[in-house]
Amino acid sequence: MKSLQKIDIAARDLSEEVHDANFIGAKMKSERRYAALERDYADPDKLRETAGLIKQHTLENLDTYLEKAEAALQRNGAKVHFAVDDERAKQVVLDIMNEHGCKSMVKSKSMLTEEIHLLDFLEKNGKEVVETDLGEFILQIDHDHPSHIVTPIVHKNRRGIAKSFEREGLGDYNDDPETITRRARKFLRQKYLDADVGLTGANFVSAESGRIALVTNEGNARFCMAANKVHIAIVGIEKLVPSDRELGVFLNLIGRSGTGQQLTVYNQFIGGPKSAGQPHGPEHMHVIFVDNRRSEVLASDCREILRCIRCGACLNVCPVYRQSGGHAYRSVYPGPVGAVLSPLLAGNRFPELADLPKASSLCGACNEVCPVNIPIPDLLLRLRDKAKREKAGDAMKGTPDLTMWAVLCSQPTMWKTALKMGHTMNYIPTEMIPHPSAMSWQSQRKLPKFEGGKFRKWFKNHKSN
Amino acid sequence: MTTCLCDAFYADVAQASVEVLEYLGCDIELPDGQTCCGQPAFNAGDWASARKVLRSALKTFPGDKPIVVPSGSCAAMVFHGALLAFEKETDLPEVKALGGRTWELVDFIVHGLGITEWPGKLDAKLTFHRSCHLRGSESPQAISTLLASIEGLEVLPIDEVEQCCGFGGTFAVAFPNVSKSMGELKVENLTKPEPDIVAAADMGCMMHFGGMMDKKGIETKRMHIAQVLRDSLKNAGKI
Amino acid sequence: MSSDRDAIFSSIRKALEPIKNPAPMPEWDTELVISRPSGEFASLKDQFENKLKFASARFMDSVDALGEFLKAEGVTIGYCDPALAGRFAGLEGVEIETEYDEAKIDVYGFGITRATAGIAESGTIMLRDQDTSARLAALAPWIHVAVIDEKDIVATIPDAIERFGDDPSIIFCTGPSKTADVEGILIEGVHGPGIQVALVI
Repeated sequence: MKSLQKIDIAARDLSEEVHDANFIGAKMKSERRYAALERDYADPDKLRETAGLIKQHTLENLDTYLEKAEAALQRNGAKVHFAVDDERAKQVVLDIMNEHGCKSMVKSKSMLTEEIHLLDFLEKNGKEVVETDLGEFILQIDHDHPSHIVTPIVHKNRRGIAKSFEREGLGDYNDDPETITRRARKFLRQKYLDADVGLTGANFVSAESGRIALVTNEGNARFCMAANKVHIAIVGIEKLVPSDRELGVFLNLIGRSGTGQQLTVYNQFIGGPKSAGQPHGPEHMHVIFVDNRRSEVLASDCREILRCIRCGACLNVCPVYRQSGGHAYRSVYPGPVGAVLSPLLAGNRFPELADLPKASSLCGACNEVCPVNIPIPDLLLRLRDKAKREKAGDAMKGTPDLTMWAVLCSQPTMWKTALKMGHTMNYIPTEMIPHPSAMSWQSQRKLPKFEGGKFRKWFKNHKSN
Repeated sequence: MTTCLCDAFYADVAQASVEVLEYLGCDIELPDGQTCCGQPAFNAGDWASARKVLRSALKTFPGDKPIVVPSGSCAAMVFHGALLAFEKETDLPEVKALGGRTWELVDFIVHGLGITEWPGKLDAKLTFHRSCHLRGSESPQAISTLLASIEGLEVLPIDEVEQCCGFGGTFAVAFPNVSKSMGELKVENLTKPEPDIVAAADMGCMMHFGGMMDKKGIETKRMHIAQVLRDSLKNAGKI
Repeated sequence: MSSDRDAIFSSIRKALEPIKNPAPMPEWDTELVISRPSGEFASLKDQFENKLKFASARFMDSVDALGEFLKAEGVTIGYCDPALAGRFAGLEGVEIETEYDEAKIDVYGFGITRATAGIAESGTIMLRDQDTSARLAALAPWIHVAVIDEKDIVATIPDAIERFGDDPSIIFCTGPSKTADVEGILIEGVHGPGIQVALVI
């Protein structure tokens, strides 16, 4: 069927194995999230709402907070850089590496580096880069990309991973997850010791202290700041929060929302280069604040999406994500958050991703679980309106044109006539209606019996009695 | 507000809503010019068409009487969606006022009229689909409160109560594969506890998963919440 | 570089300009973020112990217990913060080095360093860079022993945040290093310690 939406095709064609891994993984995390929040808080919604307001406040005063963060970091001895877009961000990273004579990099997980395709760029420029998050490392050796923000290889299974490890010379075929993990530990440990620079993202930045908060479970971000002398943190400008105090709100939410953990195992707060007496760790810290169209999103009527703290809760609960998997979204950010953020970050490539906001039944589960209370369905609707106004073709695929319907519904007389005429529907086999929407509907469901006007007639008689 | 679905397909749901409200002493008016709330176009991204339909509703429902709708989704369109569709329009205040007096049926009964016990009787086991548009509203609590007070009625818990049935208006036709998988899960969760009745507060959802049950030959009785309330009153001899 | 800075600030200001009433900072009470305790505890130490176990970390409150544990784990060599080494001098069958030798990163079976605080609310060990004698010692060995003075056990996460001071690198450790990347199966000890011990003295 030509009229099918890309995400629907992806869901239809997803192998059962990947579908099940994705579906079960998402469902399990969603249940854990719910259990953890209900166990630990009398009123989790109050916490979510407050977190949302804090982020919204920060975004709507972003110039002030960004200046504060810059000043604080400089005070702490870090060097602050700015990059307007992906090209500039990559160049700044390369320049820093060259300035310090660095050849090799270990990096921890950062969605922003996926967004700007940092790895390819550095490798093309002769640098060695190793992803150290286990999932990201597996994606790197497979030349694959994440299908989930938090659990990047939810689409892979142990057998495929074992084969990849064998191919890369990391040992004979062994698909025991513990063995896989130990082998990665051993291999990556040497990389940490050899690397010149460690690169991290940032989950939050405290404007008041300049501290960058990093949230991980594996400890790889710690290792990216232990044996090397240079640390680069690459940060989207939307990551700011006013002060250290607010970190308490977000740390309590991000682990519970993402994986159902009270806290992730490691929460790091990095304000600058290592302290004077410390034998290990970076002597130089560089922080790169990247815009890459975030200020355009800030200017749009979808700015609430910049509150996102990348916990993945909306992906996990989303019935469409559960069926289609992350790769169906054809962008760095999948799921409900991606359906809003990806088209916005695409700039003039908006039409290519304008179908994503359509991939939702608008059920609102995403908003219900969002730790920063982003009204995702409203934003999806705004983008649908934008796609329609800008005539983004793919977005309208499979959606019936409702112009005539609107005329009908705004003319009561016509509407009542239609209610009478609709009865003809009951006299033809509805499977025969040659309309694509009707056919699509009928393939899985029966249509109800038409009884237009019956209630009106009853009411009239009822009232006159 | 009858809703276009009840106007065209589900006359008894609308009738039950009237009977229930009249039992509670309400005087019901049925403005003849009513059509639809505009939601299909709004969700499809055709906001210009949605506004056209809503402006017609503005004319049809003047004054300050409460507007009661036997559908969480249509009610939410009027009190929430419409505000988005009109945010840059000059008649936003009128739309806001319309939304301000629009209620989902059971929310109106419990929070508008202050009824917290339902004097009905219904010997049955029931599963309830919490329609997505009730999310964040007072309706789900209102519905559980009333159902819990009906004599003889047992509400069975279901798995994945927060999950959507896969209808989503034009979503169901534009994404038939995803919608089908979602619907099948919903049908499975709703029927697994072996209820006598599957109930919902939205005929949109019911048309979708009910149509799916028909196709699959699952004959479990389906009722709108208004019908449950009305029939239980009849059984108790109250009407 | 400065042109990027100017361009970013200029587009942010342009984006914010039409917002007539920027969202105010919400007032929020610290109580809001404090999680419900999982039971009744006689002391912060008891709560800390309970939550450590919940996070799959080990609680110990004597050097002897640690000695027994290391023996059972078959560990014979490790690193210890020189300022703490005196306490562990009596451990039998265990060799302790007080200068971290990077070449022995895979030789050290344990690392003992000082923790700045323990957080009873979450079973978290807080390490400040200024209190940690060697970052690698707290990270690379399979067993990390964080030595916590009982009076440094604070009640809540906000209490711990208040102790950040001017330290450039603070780490909260809540349990051992772990992953569930492969098929959602939990594996402890990915890059960091597979066993996290809190020794309260």
